[in-house]
Amino acid sequence: MGIVRKLCSTWNNLKVVKLSNRNCYSYNKSVDPLNPSCSNSLLTHGIHVFQCPDTVGIVAKLSDCIASRGGNILSADVFVPQDKQVFYSRNVFVFDPVMWPRMQMEEDFLRISKTFNAMRSVIRVPELDPKYKIAIIASKQDHCLIDLLHGWKDGRLSVDITCVISNHYRGPENEVIRFLEMHGVPYHYLRITAENKREEEILELVQNTDFLVLARYLRILSSTFLRSYGKDIINIHHGLLPSFKGMNSSKQEVDAGVKLIGATSHLVTEGFDAGPIIEQMVERVSHRDDLQSFVQKSENLEKQCLSSAIRSYCELRVLPYEENKTVVF
Amino acid sequence: MATVYAVEKEPCYKDGRGSAETEQRTAMARRLPHVVGLTKMCRNRKISFKSLDPPSSLTHGIHVFYCPDAVGIVAKLSDCIASRGGNILAADVFVPENKQVFYSRSDFVFDPVKWPRVQMEEDFLKLSQTFNAIRSVVRVPALDPKYKIAVLASKQDHCLVDLLHGWQDGRLPVDITCVISNHYRGSNTHVIRFLERHGIPYHYLCTTKENKREGEMLQLVQNTDFLVLARYMQILSGNFLRSYGNDIINIHHGLLPSFKGGNPSKQAFEAGVKLIGATSHFVTEELDAGPIIEQMIERVSHRDNLQSFVQKSENLEKQCLSKAIRSYCELRVLPYEEKKTVVF
Repeated sequence: MGIVRKLCSTWNNLKVVKLSNRNCYSYNKSVDPLNPSCSNSLLTHGIHVFQCPDTVGIVAKLSDCIASRGGNILSADVFVPQDKQVFYSRNVFVFDPVMWPRMQMEEDFLRISKTFNAMRSVIRVPELDPKYKIAIIASKQDHCLIDLLHGWKDGRLSVDITCVISNHYRGPENEVIRFLEMHGVPYHYLRITAENKREEEILELVQNTDFLVLARYLRILSSTFLRSYGKDIINIHHGLLPSFKGMNSSKQEVDAGVKLIGATSHLVTEGFDAGPIIEQMVERVSHRDDLQSFVQKSENLEKQCLSSAIRSYCELRVLPYEENKTVVF
Repeated sequence: MATVYAVEKEPCYKDGRGSAETEQRTAMARRLPHVVGLTKMCRNRKISFKSLDPPSSLTHGIHVFYCPDAVGIVAKLSDCIASRGGNILAADVFVPENKQVFYSRSDFVFDPVKWPRVQMEEDFLKLSQTFNAIRSVVRVPALDPKYKIAVLASKQDHCLVDLLHGWQDGRLPVDITCVISNHYRGSNTHVIRFLERHGIPYHYLCTTKENKREGEMLQLVQNTDFLVLARYMQILSGNFLRSYGNDIINIHHGLLPSFKGGNPSKQAFEAGVKLIGATSHFVTEELDAGPIIEQMIERVSHRDNLQSFVQKSENLEKQCLSKAIRSYCELRVLPYEEKKTVVF
């Protein structure tokens, strides 16, 4: 099937190569308790994901590469779908950056990726590589936005928030505005109309990000925008896709008398609320729930589901699978 | 409207039936028929009760009540039960926020000597009249006849088989009067042999678009309390629903309202969902749209193929359908607004 990249494909190689500014002494110094003799061993975690046409010997080559550089694999996931000749793996390993410099690691994996004609080969060393830069786009509802901001402040969300963009005005007394000011994160209010979506301005504002997060942003991004931006966009949808596409899910759910409600986080593609699903969560509801508690449970789910998706994404757990699905290790 | 999900049939405790059965307490049967000569029966039952029941021949009763809301309903209901020596073990009361309607379900133990079944019926009838109840149902599982059901199935039989086994093991407290199917099953099939062994008729009705044979079906199910569609793939017409008049419980593979129609597993698989589900609901004229009774889910991932999707789905359907039937038999399911249910 070759490389699956549609026009509006938002899958992108998040390789980060610019490491020249960083020297090896700026990372966390963690002594490996299993290997105390290496008193200078500053073992660091590395993650490598690999997607290529299936064949014999890939795991052997990958693990040998890691071992040959003194890396120790802590966990590995390998997945080959039943009737498809495609291979996915994700390895988490610890290594000594002195013995295996970042640049060398890049080269080594690049060589293997060429050997196997990989569609994707990404390494990430969270302690060395810069955090992912994201912009958050929101509308009026801010429960997800606030949850992300707090998660970011508490260090639970290890990203860099470059800015928050919204089509909803928030005054200087607003909780979000004050928080952002306190942390030096710009807030851009873009008044959007049907005629003027102001997508070029948005593109300008987000051009230096690694991916975008739509935290209950209610405007549809055009395919032009998706193509121009080119990188992944994660959206949170209140409701269990593919049901309840569109607006007003909670009310629909209350009216339908469902006993379970849910939230879905997914990657944005041209189809509305139709991109590859990353994560779904549910909660029980009953006759004792009214619209208000439906909404509250829903919002809770959305926050958790979105955070979980972003975290999985940053840990390189999310990979494209077939046309419209994901492998989530 | 076919949305009559009430078990309003009077338990027919009118005449004493043969007492041979009353002595037997087989594993699968709480088949104590309604016997009116209570003094004799009580003494007998005292001997034949299992250890779960207290020696003082206390019997469980369930009462559900649904009426316009007012002050004092709970007081009156509980007083009625207490005045007859009944002891409430569990109670659920629900009054929706902006609606003047009252739902309750009480589970109590009582001494049928002190509070005879007929008297109980009268007492609750009086209360239901006092409060202009939309629904007031009493059920004494140990005395009242089991609910009679017919099971309709098509080719897929995982739900049917699960129901039959549940019935055999006593986990499903119903009487299965017959199985009706639009799919032929030979005498060698597991289902047919099972049914033969247990004396349950199997009616194969070959249906076509022109001839749905609903008249015959109505005949076959006329003495049932409710129907169970165990992955029955034909649509029952509005005519049928109205003529039958009692409740029909269906199992839908998928989380309604999504994935209506055929092959939800395949749809879900192709949509790349991370959760799959099943829904049990009452059948109304609109396809797959009746009031939902129960929903269940299970996680799926990239490691699942269509086959495991289907397998997890079938598992869910079995559980979801059994649970719905059990809730229904325990009088836990009540109609709520137009398209919903209260499930206590």
